[in-house]
Amino acid sequence: MDIDDILREVDPTFHAVPQEKRNLQELTRAWIAERSAPELLPWPADGLFERVNDSIKRQIEKVEEMTGDMDPKTNFALIVIQTELERFKYLVRSYVRARISKIDRHTLHYLSTDALRARLSEMELAYATRHQALLHNHYLSSFLSSFPSALQNINDSAGINMVETPDLESAVFIRLLKDTLVEGRGVDSDGAMDGRESDIVILRWADAKTLVENGSAELV
Amino acid sequence: MALPLPLGLTHSEVAFVAEMELVTVVPRQRLESIDLLSGKTPPLRPPHRADLPLWLALLLKKQRRANIVPPPWLYPASLADIVHRETKVHPHAFSEPMPTASRARQSQPGYAGRIGGGDSSEVILSPPFRSNCTSAAPAGYLPYHWLEVAEALITYASDDLGGNTSEIRGLLRDLVEVRAAKMRDSAETLGAEGQGGVVSLRGVGAMELAENRGFVLGVVDGVRKIGGAVETARREKEEEMDLGGGDGGRGGYGGDGDSDDDMGI
Repeated sequence: MDIDDILREVDPTFHAVPQEKRNLQELTRAWIAERSAPELLPWPADGLFERVNDSIKRQIEKVEEMTGDMDPKTNFALIVIQTELERFKYLVRSYVRARISKIDRHTLHYLSTDALRARLSEMELAYATRHQALLHNHYLSSFLSSFPSALQNINDSAGINMVETPDLESAVFIRLLKDTLVEGRGVDSDGAMDGRESDIVILRWADAKTLVENGSAELV
Repeated sequence: MALPLPLGLTHSEVAFVAEMELVTVVPRQRLESIDLLSGKTPPLRPPHRADLPLWLALLLKKQRRANIVPPPWLYPASLADIVHRETKVHPHAFSEPMPTASRARQSQPGYAGRIGGGDSSEVILSPPFRSNCTSAAPAGYLPYHWLEVAEALITYASDDLGGNTSEIRGLLRDLVEVRAAKMRDSAETLGAEGQGGVVSLRGVGAMELAENRGFVLGVVDGVRKIGGAVETARREKEEEMDLGGGDGGRGGYGGDGDSDDDMGI
């Protein structure tokens, strides 16, 4: 801690966003993005979900302690805490479910390259690998084994690729978080627009992706 | 199925997000600060106002522990002003979104910067975390979650709206209708030539997006699929022309192959 930190702490004009609120903002943003993007987005690398899950666990322990005393005053606080806890759990659950449904739909695609595998969390990777292995064994025993061996591949990419991929060109809505140039590709012409902060823009996900990744925009 | 919902937030999910908006309450009972996951709530001491998330404010309201102070933009005068602007002044665009709160920048005296957007290390706040529905929010603008918050306040806190509920309800209905017509008109722009694949809907609200998401995105994707062959041909031509100088620009997108396949059927 240097002198600047000390000054900042006693400065009433400095309103840093507290960590808890930041977690909620990031969690909400990640959830909305995952619910809106046509492809699987990278698992947050900064440990957001580990932080959120830890705090949920701590909160549950606190609820268990508080249930013991039946003082009517703490009783109401308990209701509030539990309501909020359920809201957080819903966010996390819906986020994970949105991801699993994307992984289920295009399992082979997300397992195909290292760059795509890096988007999955450890648990999701284990799930996808195991799920795919089970499925493959099942196919093999029920019908693939009676095919000629040259036709047994289910990820043949010669000719038309057998591995289905998400449609990265489908349109999305984004909100700009900063003033920035927005470039898009259209059918008749490619265009660009000087976007202002809080603009809501429709464009193809492939064009929006860089803006979302560098934090200039968020999906809505 | 892990999640049987279409892409994009549904109506109930949008309403869930809107419940995170901060609103101002006047407590009628003392309540100590509660240590929540999203931070400590301010201790409630009547008659001092405090800002709380909407879901908590509604809970307190239902138990008659607090009254909600309606945000300034929800007053009939402000709503009438917005209706006037939406119909007469800018009949083809949504009214401006709520301006971003800013404060004096410490590093550069004399300049102001956005709250939460000053330096890159800090997370940029976006609705519903922007205090757009507290009593300190400006009048004459609609926040991103205007319809949801207004609806919740009319339903559960109509006695706090100063007895104008029917007038407010009428003005809100006008706004919904005039803005829905604009949303439908935007479909023309979506399919028009020369848009270059970027269409701005500045000022649109969350519920309006949820309502029209399927239609709007369907139009954009439909136009893209119908024009897939034209677009590929145009891109190839441009690439040939570019070949002399530069690296050919943005030619190599993975998705182009898909539209080819579609057209081949």
